Amino acid sequence: MLSRVADNLFWMSRYLERAEHIARIVLVHHNLELEQPEEANAGRWKRVFQSLALDPPIEDSTNSVLSQICFGVESRFSITTSIESARNNARQVREQISSEMWEQLNRLYHAVRHADHEDHNGEIEEFLIAVKEGAHLFHGLTDSTMSHGEGWQFIQLGQSLERAINTAAQLEIHYREFYREASLDSEWGPDAAGYLEWIGLLRCATAFEAFCKVHSATIDPLNVVEFLLLDAQFPHSIRFVVDTLQTALEAIGRLSPGRRVHKVQRIAGRLQAELSFTQIEEVMERGIADTMQHIRESCHEIHNCVHEAFVSYPVESALEV
Amino acid sequence: MYYRIRHRTRYYYSAPVHESLTEVRMHPRTEGRQRCLDYQLAVTPKARVHVYRDFLGNSVHHFGVPASHNELNIMAESVVEMKDFPDTPSGLAADAWDELDAEVKRGDYWEMILPSKFSRPTPLLLELVDKLGAVRRDDPLRLLRELNTRLHDSIDYVPETTTVDSPIDDALKQRKGVCQDFAHIMIAVVRNLGIPCRYVSGYLHRSGIEHGRSRENATHAWAEALLPSLGWVGFDPTNDLLAREGHIRTAVGRDYSDVPPTRGVFKGDAATAMAVAVSVTASDHLPPELAELVLPDEQSFPHDVLALNATSDKMKEWQRAQEVQQQQ
Amino acid sequence: MLTQAPFQNYWYGTPWDEMFYPGGEPRAHYEPLMRVLENLPAEEIRQKKQAADLSFLHQGITFTVYGKSEGTERIFPHDLIPRILTAAEWSKIELGLTQRITALNEFLRDLYHEQRILNDGVVPRELIASCPHFRREMRGVAVPRGAYVAVAGTDLVRLPTGEFAVLEDNLRVPSGVSYMLTSRQVMKRVFPSLLRECQVRPIDHYGAALSSTLRSLAPEGRPDPVIVLLTPGVFNSAYFEHAYLARQMGIELVEGRDLLVHDNIVYMRTTSGLRRIDVIYRRIDDDFIDSLVFRSDTILGVPGLFNAYRAGNVTLANAVGTGVADDKAVYAYVPAIIKYYLDQDAILPNVETYLLSDERERSYVLENLDKLVVKAVGESGGYGMLVGPHSTKADQEEFRRRILANPRNYIAQPTLALSCAPCLVEGESIEPRHVDLRPYILFGEKVTIVPGGLTRVALRRGSLVVNSSQGGGSKDTWVLQN
Repeated sequence: MLSRVADNLFWMSRYLERAEHIARIVLVHHNLELEQPEEANAGRWKRVFQSLALDPPIEDSTNSVLSQICFGVESRFSITTSIESARNNARQVREQISSEMWEQLNRLYHAVRHADHEDHNGEIEEFLIAVKEGAHLFHGLTDSTMSHGEGWQFIQLGQSLERAINTAAQLEIHYREFYREASLDSEWGPDAAGYLEWIGLLRCATAFEAFCKVHSATIDPLNVVEFLLLDAQFPHSIRFVVDTLQTALEAIGRLSPGRRVHKVQRIAGRLQAELSFTQIEEVMERGIADTMQHIRESCHEIHNCVHEAFVSYPVESALEV
Repeated sequence: MYYRIRHRTRYYYSAPVHESLTEVRMHPRTEGRQRCLDYQLAVTPKARVHVYRDFLGNSVHHFGVPASHNELNIMAESVVEMKDFPDTPSGLAADAWDELDAEVKRGDYWEMILPSKFSRPTPLLLELVDKLGAVRRDDPLRLLRELNTRLHDSIDYVPETTTVDSPIDDALKQRKGVCQDFAHIMIAVVRNLGIPCRYVSGYLHRSGIEHGRSRENATHAWAEALLPSLGWVGFDPTNDLLAREGHIRTAVGRDYSDVPPTRGVFKGDAATAMAVAVSVTASDHLPPELAELVLPDEQSFPHDVLALNATSDKMKEWQRAQEVQQQQ
Repeated sequence: MLTQAPFQNYWYGTPWDEMFYPGGEPRAHYEPLMRVLENLPAEEIRQKKQAADLSFLHQGITFTVYGKSEGTERIFPHDLIPRILTAAEWSKIELGLTQRITALNEFLRDLYHEQRILNDGVVPRELIASCPHFRREMRGVAVPRGAYVAVAGTDLVRLPTGEFAVLEDNLRVPSGVSYMLTSRQVMKRVFPSLLRECQVRPIDHYGAALSSTLRSLAPEGRPDPVIVLLTPGVFNSAYFEHAYLARQMGIELVEGRDLLVHDNIVYMRTTSGLRRIDVIYRRIDDDFIDSLVFRSDTILGVPGLFNAYRAGNVTLANAVGTGVADDKAVYAYVPAIIKYYLDQDAILPNVETYLLSDERERSYVLENLDKLVVKAVGESGGYGMLVGPHSTKADQEEFRRRILANPRNYIAQPTLALSCAPCLVEGESIEPRHVDLRPYILFGEKVTIVPGGLTRVALRRGSLVVNSSQGGGSKDTWVLQN
C-alpha cells in the first residue's frame, strides 16, 4: 500500500473520531448545564476545552462556546473542521475506500456545512446527534463494505489512538475536579451535583448503561475510573482501545514485512500489558494524573513511530534493504 | 597553454534537507582549440555521480543525496589544454551577409536564432538596437566587433545589481549588470540581425587582459555568433574582447537557462545560501599546484545571498528549487 | 400530456445524417434502433434517460470546467441514442488510424534523432524549432519500440460526402476513454436486447489492451514490470478517469509525491518499503513532470524522473515531447509525413488547413475570419478557438490582433459541416445534433484500436463545438460485427 494512502486513511479516521468525540461530550455537557444549578456550571466549558487541548473559550456565553466548538473555523479544531479534514483525507484516497463510505462521509460533510449556525438553541441537539449517528454509520460501513486489509487496519489504528488520547485527557481533568477522598466514605457517594457529573462522564463515553450492568446504578467514582480505564469488554475503555490498537499494529506488521516495527510494537505491547495486569489500587497509588499522562505520551510515541516506520521513513534506510 | 581550474561550491541549509538532487555543468568542452585533459568531481555528503550529454553536447553530471544533510559541497577540478588562436580578421568580405544567410538556410541553426527565455527582443532591447544602430551594414564581423565595444561602453559592470534569473530588461533599465546580462543582451541584439548566436558558460583566465573588469573567483559568460568562413566566434561584451585563449568554455546553450553551472531540488523546509570560489591558473606545462582556494566562512554571506534568502523564506513548499549560481 | 412520436420534431437533409437518408428513410444499419425508438412510449424513454443519468451520477463521472476563477464540477452529459458504424466504415477507420499512428511515431523518432525529414525539407525546420512542445531534451533518447505515442485519441469528423477525415491528433495525454467505457456499461443496462440484436462489437477489453501495451514497453530486463498510473491528483479534471483506468488495470494510482528517484531508479514509497517502478502511464503534461528539467515551479511531478528515463530505467507513456506531432500547424503536414515514411497516401484525409505563418494564407484568413475556424496551435479542449460564423465582430477583432501578434501560434480551417446524429433533447423529442468521433489507439508491440470510441455531441442546437468543457456531451458508439 502507498504510504500516502495509509497516512490519509489513518488521519481520516482520527479526524472523524475527534468530531464524534467532541459531539458526544458537548451533547452531555449541554444537557448537564440545563439540569445543574448555576454554581455547578462554573468552569464547565473551560474544562471541556481543556480536555480537548483547546485554548479556553473566547467568551463565556453558552451560545458563543457552542458555536466555537461546533462550527468554529478559527480555533484549532471544531466539529466542522474535523469533519472537513476527515473528508479531505478521504478525498485523497477516494479509490481506496468503498463508495458507501465516501458517500456517507460526504453526506455528513454537507450536512454540517449547511447546519444553521445562528439559532442553535433548538437545533444544536439535533446537530450533535446527527454528527454522532453519522460517524457511527460511517464506522459500520467501514466494517461491512471495505476489505479488512492493510488500509482498514490503518483506519482502526487511527481511531484507537485518537480515542485513547481523548479518553485519557477527559478522565484526568474530570478526576482532578470531582474526585474527593472524603466522598468515598459518604453513604451516598458524591454529592448530588457531583453524582450527575460522574454519570455525565460515563455518558460522554456512552458507557452509562454498560457500567450499570456491571456495577448497578450506584455511582462510585473509583468504579467509574476503573471501568473507563481497565474494563476488558467495553469499546470505549482505554484498555479495550489499546487492545484494538495492538491488534491493528500486529496485523500491519504482518502485512508490511520488512519495516522496522520493533520499537512501536514494544511501546504498544508494554502499554497493553500494563493495562491488562494493573489493579485500580495500583493506579490510584501512582496517581490518576500521572497514569493518564503516561498513556497519552505512549500514544503520541506510537503515532510517531508508526509514521516513521510506514510513511516518512528515510529513503536511505529503505535503500539498504 | 595549460589551465588548471578549481571550482568550489557550497550550499548551506538553514534546516536539514533530504533527497536532494543536483545537476552540474562544469566539465570543460573538448572541441576546436580546447581540450579537457582531466576532470574530477568530488561531492560531500558522498554520492554516486552520473553523467550524460545534453542536446548541445555539454557534459552534465548529476547526483542525489537521500539522507538528511545541512550542507552540500561540490568540488570540480579540471585541466584544460588550449592551443593558440590565429588572429581574427577585423572584417569580412562584402558578400559575407549573403554567405551567412546561405549557411543558415543550409544548416540547423534555428535554435540559436529564435528568441529564448532570457534573450528576447523586448521593447527596451529594440530601443537599444536603435541606439546602437544594430542593423545589417558593413560586414557581419565588423558590425559585431563594433556592437561588442558599444555594448561594453553603454552598460556598467556592477556586481550584485541583478540576480540569476533577472530578465534583460532589468539591466537595460539600470544600465548596469553582470556578464550574464551582457551576454544575454548581446545575444538578443545579434539574433535580431538574423545571425545565429549562443550563450557560453565558462571561465576566464585574466592574465594579459588589462582592461578586463569581470570578477575573479567566479564563473564567466559570453556570447558566440556564427560567422561565414570563421564558424562560431566568441564575443565578450563584459570585457570588450573577442573570446580567445583565456576563455575556457564549459557549456553552450540558447541562454543561461540551458547551462546553469548548478541546478537542484531538495525536500525539506529550509532556506539556502550558496558560496562559490573559482580559481584558474595557467602554465606552460602540465599542471603544477598553483592556487589556494579560499571560501568565505559561514557568517559572512555575500549581501545578495542574504537578500535571496529572505525572500525564499516565504516559500513553504516541501520541494524547493536550489539556489543557482549567477554568472558574473 | 399526449404521447409524442419521438421523431416528430426531427428535420432531415442535414449535410450528412448518420441515421437517415436525406429523404427520411433510416439507413439499413439503424433499422433495429428505429424500431425500438418508435415503439418506446415517451414515458419509458424518459425513465431510461433518468436511469442512465443516475448511473453516471453514482459513478461520479464528472469533469471540471476551467476558465472561471475556480474549477466547477459537472456531470458529463450523456445522450441515450447510440451512434452506429458499419463494419465496412470501421475497417477503413482502423486502417487509416493504424497508418497514421505508425507514421507519426516514425516522425517523432526521426525528429529526436537524425531529423531526415527536416534535412530533406519535407517539414520546415523552423516550424519544429518554434514549436513549444518540441523537447530538445529528447534528442538522442532511446524509446522502447519507438512507441513515442503509446496512447492516442484521434478526432475524426464525417464530411458531407460521408467520408471520415482527421480533425486533430491528440498525442500527449488524450482523455475521455473512461466515458467510452462507462457509457457502454450504462447502455448494456438500458438497451440489452438491442445490443445483442445488432451484434455490437465489445470494447470492454480496453483496460487489458492498455495494460499489455504498457507491459510491452517495459525497459529491457524487467520481465515482470511494475506499472503505475501517475495523476496530478484529485483536483485534476480527469481524476475520475485516472482512478477508473488504474482500477481497470489493477495498478497503483500514484501522485508525484509518492515517487522518488535515486541513482536513476524510480521508486514508490509504500508501507512495506520502496518499490521499483518500471513503466509510468503518466497523465501529467511534459511541463510538470520533472522540476529539475522542465518547469521548476511545480510539485506535481518527480524530480530526477527525466534522468531515470534518459538512462532507460523507466518507461514513460506517452514519451516526453510527443506534443510536437500534434501541433496544429504540424498537422497540416501529416499527409506528407505519411508519404515520406510509409510511401503511402493517407487513408483518412486531413481537413484543409491554413498556416498563418504563411503570408498569403494569412491575408486570406484575415479577410475571411467570419467564415473560418481559427485555433491556437498548442491548445486543446476547445479553448483558444474562434468559430467564425458564430462569432461577433469583437471576437474577430480580438483574434485578428492575436494572430498578427503571433502568427505561428494559429491555424485556420474552413467551418466544417459536421455530420449529424439523432439526439434526445430535453429528454423529450429527438433532434439532429452535430457529432464527431474519437477512437483510442494503442501502440506497443502491435497497434490495437478497440472498435468504437467516444462520439462527442454538440448538444446546443446548431453548435459545432463538441468539447465537454464547451457544452458538449457524448453518446455510445456501436461498431457492428458485420
